[in-house]
Order: sequence, then C-alpha cells, then structure tokens
Amino acid sequence: MNCQPKGFVLDAVAVRRGPARLLDRVSTHLPPGWCTAVVGPSGAGKSTLLRLLNRLEEPTTGRVLLDGIPVTDLDVLALRRRVGLVGQRPVLLTDRVAEDIRVGRPHLSKPHAVELLARVGLPPEFAGRATSGLSGGEAQRVCLARALALEPDVLLLDEPTSALDASNTALIADLAREHANTGGTVILASHDSTTVRETADWVLVLDHGRLVATGRPDEVDYLRARS
Amino acid sequence: MTPTNVPSWAGVAASLLLVAAAVAVVWRYKLGLTGELVLAAARAGVQLIAVGALLAVLFNRTGLPGALGWVTLVVLIAGQVAGRRGADLPRARAIATAGVALGTAPTLATLIIPGVIPTSSRVVIPVGGMIVAGAMQATGLTLRRLREDAHTAREAIEARLSLGLSARAAFAPHQRSALRTALLPAIDSTKVVGLISLPGAMTGLILAGVDPLTAIRYQIVVMYMLLAATALAALTTARLAEHTLFDHAHRLVPLTTGLET
Repeated sequence: MNCQPKGFVLDAVAVRRGPARLLDRVSTHLPPGWCTAVVGPSGAGKSTLLRLLNRLEEPTTGRVLLDGIPVTDLDVLALRRRVGLVGQRPVLLTDRVAEDIRVGRPHLSKPHAVELLARVGLPPEFAGRATSGLSGGEAQRVCLARALALEPDVLLLDEPTSALDASNTALIADLAREHANTGGTVILASHDSTTVRETADWVLVLDHGRLVATGRPDEVDYLRARS
Repeated sequence: MTPTNVPSWAGVAASLLLVAAAVAVVWRYKLGLTGELVLAAARAGVQLIAVGALLAVLFNRTGLPGALGWVTLVVLIAGQVAGRRGADLPRARAIATAGVALGTAPTLATLIIPGVIPTSSRVVIPVGGMIVAGAMQATGLTLRRLREDAHTAREAIEARLSLGLSARAAFAPHQRSALRTALLPAIDSTKVVGLISLPGAMTGLILAGVDPLTAIRYQIVVMYMLLAATALAALTTARLAEHTLFDHAHRLVPLTTGLET
C-alpha cells in the first residue's frame, strides 16, 4: 500500500512513568527530507520523543509508525541502525577516537573514519587521539561521526550544539540540512532558537509533554519570543 | 579422631579470661562497646554450640542425602544474603540464589562423583559450606558491580544500544568488569595461599593432629574448588542479571530506586 505516509508518524502517543506524564497524546508526522525541530522548556518531553523513535522508550499508549509500519513490528536492532541518535551528553565508549567511531561498524576503513571526522569538522589526526583528552565539543562531534558511520536514514539530534562554539554550531546545522536535503530525516531537539530558525523546516513545540504548537520556524510564537 | 589436641570444656571456660581482657580494655578507655562485646562473645558461644549440636546429629544420623539437604539449605540462605548486594536489580534474590546454586552444584559434584572427597556428611557438609561461601562472595560482588554499572553507565549502555548493538553486546564491557571484580579476590588468595596465612581447612586439619603434608592435599583441592565455584557463580549471576536488566526490545529497564551505596 503506497497510501501510508513516509517517515515517522506518532499516533496519540503517551509515555507515563509512575504518575509523571512525559508525553501526553502526541500525534504528528515527521516526513523524510525535512528537518523537524522539537522545542520547548526543559522537561517538556523532547528527549523522550526522540527516544521513542529508536525504541529506547516504549509508548504507554498510542503507536509509532515508520513508513506506515508500527516500529514494534520492525527488528529493533535494524531500526536503531537506520535511526541514529546522538544523545544530549557526549558519551565516549572506547579509548581512541577511531575505535569509538567503529563501535557500531567494526569494519569501517581508516579513510572512511577520517572522512567522517572531516564531516563533523575534526582533522584527520583526531583518529589517533585518546578519547579521554577531548573537550566537550570535540566529544560531541565524535559521537555524531559515530552515528553517521552507520549511514542512518534518520538522524535524531538531542541538543547537538549545546557544547559547541558558533562556527561548529554552524557546521552541525549545515550537516543536518545536508542530510535532510538528500532525502534523510532529521529530528532536532534544541534550546538554541537561532539554530532551529536556520535549520528546521518544521517546528514542534512541546510543553509538559503536550504538543502545544506546530508550524514553520517563522510562524511559531515560542521561537519568536526568543529572537 | 581422638580429641587430644582439642580444648576441654574447662579450657573453653578458662578462655573467657581472654574476653575479660578485651572487656577491660574497652571499659578502661570508655569505648562504649562493653555491652556489644559481651553480647558478641555470648552469641558466638551459643551459635557455635547450637551448630555443633546440629552437625553432631547430621554427622551421626544422616548420610549423603542429609548432607546435601543441609548444603541446599545453606545455598538458599546464601542466595538471600548475596541478593541484598543487588537490591534494586529485578529479581536480585532469585538471581543470587541461582548463582550460588550453579556455582556450588557442579563443583561439589566434581568432587563427590569421582571420589575426590568421601560421601560422608562429616566431609560433604564442611566442604559444601566452603564452596557455598566462595560462591556467595562471588555472586554478591558480581551483583553489586552490575547494579552500580546499571545506574552509573546507563548513558554508555544506551549509546551502544543506539548504535544497533544487542543488549548482550552493549552490556558486555560491564559484564566483563563485574566478572573480573568477582574473580580477582579468589585468584589473589589462591596465589598467596600458605604464604600470608594458613588457610582454614589446612589449619583445622593441623589442629586436629593431621600431618601437614596430608593437610595441604585437602587445601589444594579446596583452593581449586573455590576457583571453580567463584567463576561459575559469577558467570551465572552476570548472565541472569543481563536477562532481567534488558527487555525484549534490547532496552535497559528502569531500576526502581537510586544508587544508595
């Protein structure tokens, strides 16, 4: 059936943990070829929404579909290789940068690893660097390169620019744009309204787990209030 | 065995003077421990008399089935004790009991079936007790370490899961470090056995008048069996914990409470 929408669809998704409602009946469509930004105050449910898409989180009620298929019907490990998540805090997993980039793809060649480093604005010599000596921004970019190594269709970026300076923020924004322009899906959770305005095609505003507004970046009051 | 080397009850009573010496120190320096010390000494006496009487009945009245029944009971108790080390892990006590049981059963069977040790309850009960103690320590250490990692390394585990790694692969580095933590004390004590202190089984045999060259044979078997019990208990515990820590969708389950210790 070709009538099913491409990309992710959230159908009345709620996530409760004990009495807390992390997400409350959120319905939306996240189409491929778009960079969709998820904005809202801390604790609004942005990270939870991203984690639903690669099944680190399960909805209490409602459904998440990818290309019309409930994600619960897909092989979860294959889904996670298609849907790369870069978390809010950079977590490095091995001693060396090149090794870290290979965690999800052990047979990645050295030239390919260097190319991934270049995409996130790091010079080739970084491949041999110890992960323990990296700054927060460098670590964040290594995490992004590690996710890109799997060549995911969907990029979930959770506050990707929080530890970066202006030029590196622009680099990551360009990378997100390029991914969307080449047909990929980007979901960007961010506090940085400038990046959102410059990068996103569509904005979802969450508050207390509820989807309170959607629109183009220039239409959303939440962003206008922060310009 | 003739109890020529064993203190008489009068001798045991005389050793109370040593308790009095400790009480004198505690009282003289106002350490506030006099009551606790007297209670501890009294408890030790009562507990050991009770265990001695129970063992006397078991040794004289029951054979191998009674001994195995006793070891089973000890395994169940040890499982409860070791399970506390993983308090907020799902089904920690059941995992710990299985860990102690699967560390103990094959080890004891390897000693009994080929006849390395006799099947009398006089031998099976103390040897079984030593195996259970070793397995319990390994199980407790493994659970404690896994519990700490499930709390502190959640982000790293989820980062690996997000890269499409299976729960087993994502948890493997933490499992390895838990197994190392559990095995190192047994390996270290095996390395230095006889050099730093004379171990329990050997000391007991020497005190009972057995020739030291005979006593060491027992000790060698004890050290080897403890290595096996430790490794099997730690591995069982780590594998079972992995199954309860992750759900069918390769997700680390939320733990009920925070890390207290």
